[in-house]
Amino acid sequence: MTFSLIGRCARTGRLGLGITTYSLAVGGRCEGVVANVGVCKTQAFPNRTNDPLGIKLLAQGYLPRRVMEMFAINDTEHDYRQIAIMDRDGRIAAHTGPGCRGWAGHKDGKDCVAFGNGLVGPQVLEGMIAGFLENPGDALEYRLMRAIEGGRDAGGQGTPDAHRPERSAAIKVVDRRDYPDVDVRVDVHPTAVAELRRVLEEFKLYEEFYRGRDTDPSKAIPQDVFVKELDARRRVRA
Amino acid sequence: MTFTLLARCPKTGQVGIGIATYSICVGLYCNGLRGNVGATMSQAFVNQGNNPLALRLLAQGYTPQRVLDDLEANDPNHEYRQIAVIDRNGRLAASTGAKNRGWAGHRVGEGYVAMGNVLTGEKTITAMAKAYEAATSLSFERRLLAAIEAGRDAGGQSGVDGHLPERSAALMVYGDYDHAEIDLRVDLHDTAVAELRRAFEEYDPYRTYYRERSKNPKDAVPQYQFVAELEKKQQEAAQ
Repeated sequence: MTFSLIGRCARTGRLGLGITTYSLAVGGRCEGVVANVGVCKTQAFPNRTNDPLGIKLLAQGYLPRRVMEMFAINDTEHDYRQIAIMDRDGRIAAHTGPGCRGWAGHKDGKDCVAFGNGLVGPQVLEGMIAGFLENPGDALEYRLMRAIEGGRDAGGQGTPDAHRPERSAAIKVVDRRDYPDVDVRVDVHPTAVAELRRVLEEFKLYEEFYRGRDTDPSKAIPQDVFVKELDARRRVRA
Repeated sequence: MTFTLLARCPKTGQVGIGIATYSICVGLYCNGLRGNVGATMSQAFVNQGNNPLALRLLAQGYTPQRVLDDLEANDPNHEYRQIAVIDRNGRLAASTGAKNRGWAGHRVGEGYVAMGNVLTGEKTITAMAKAYEAATSLSFERRLLAAIEAGRDAGGQSGVDGHLPERSAALMVYGDYDHAEIDLRVDLHDTAVAELRRAFEEYDPYRTYYRERSKNPKDAVPQYQFVAELEKKQQEAAQ
């Protein structure tokens, strides 16, 4: 049981994944998000070797559709996997094996694909896509955040009489560099999506400071001084 | 302001990192581990290009010292960085640039580097090194956790107005695969090392279940059933 959305920002070409699930520490199993290559995520009964393989195949020039065919040939338990792949041009392939449990499916939207299993129904995918499309001008990380919030608010995981909470969540966004632009996580929490929103909002306040410290360290103020200034600004606003 | 233990496990050949810092979301920057290649970490004023470059150089066959020399030659701000590099044989190199702030330094041992900056003092890294060395009976991930807990207990980080809390922490181990064996993070918390310990103890019993579920999906019990059984077992054990 998991619901995820892979998205691409048409304006910038940035790629990303938003994911949340009842399982713990899901962000530690999302290595298939690579700048200038694409995104590949295997879930449900995940095959951990799929995503690194998928990324290598995309990098060699195969289309997402062809990568999916190779997964099917390469994995005796392909029927139990749920997989979505998007390349850097936004081309998509998705697969929901018949062995996935509960309500399970995938759905394309503009610049995105939503996929999930163990869900209350298709409205979760629709909620995710609606969330993603709500403010197309926003930075991709915010659109992915809105997508998983939209999925949660549409009912999330479980059955109508047994809701399952989101216990971990993650957002990963890559741009052109070979390390992520944004990579925020909540690994063990009773309301992981709400907590991820808190982490993301806080991270965005530090993002520029952290970049500046990297590229121009001689001008960087100490972080505890930065935090004091940040807290002062927050008090003024409050 | 960060304290880190980067190591290669002499028993298993795994590479891993335990890290805690006042910065938030530190796990974002820990992209320098790869099975069968090695481990590297750039911290203090992080150069985010360093870790991917160092891994490629290790994979090409450069020794850790040569990798470190290359990172230096490639970075006009090298003296602001703190860096450790370990290869898959456990050879290592480390440097703490002269422009790191506060008390900053590293300590090198058999297959590991303890390093930190903006620390209360040398005792933070000494405690990490000693705890890592002493915990030989524990699993590799528990040794890394014990190291950062010891660093915290020895005083951790100290800034302009005294002690600085750990606000994020991470534990990562890579073995034979392209993916992490464990990759656990606390991104934003008032006591991130304690929270990382809590997350680890909570997550640890699931690891076998997740592995088995991947390999043999048709016989896997639903996760909520696994959780109910786990909670029952934990209650019985507590009694």
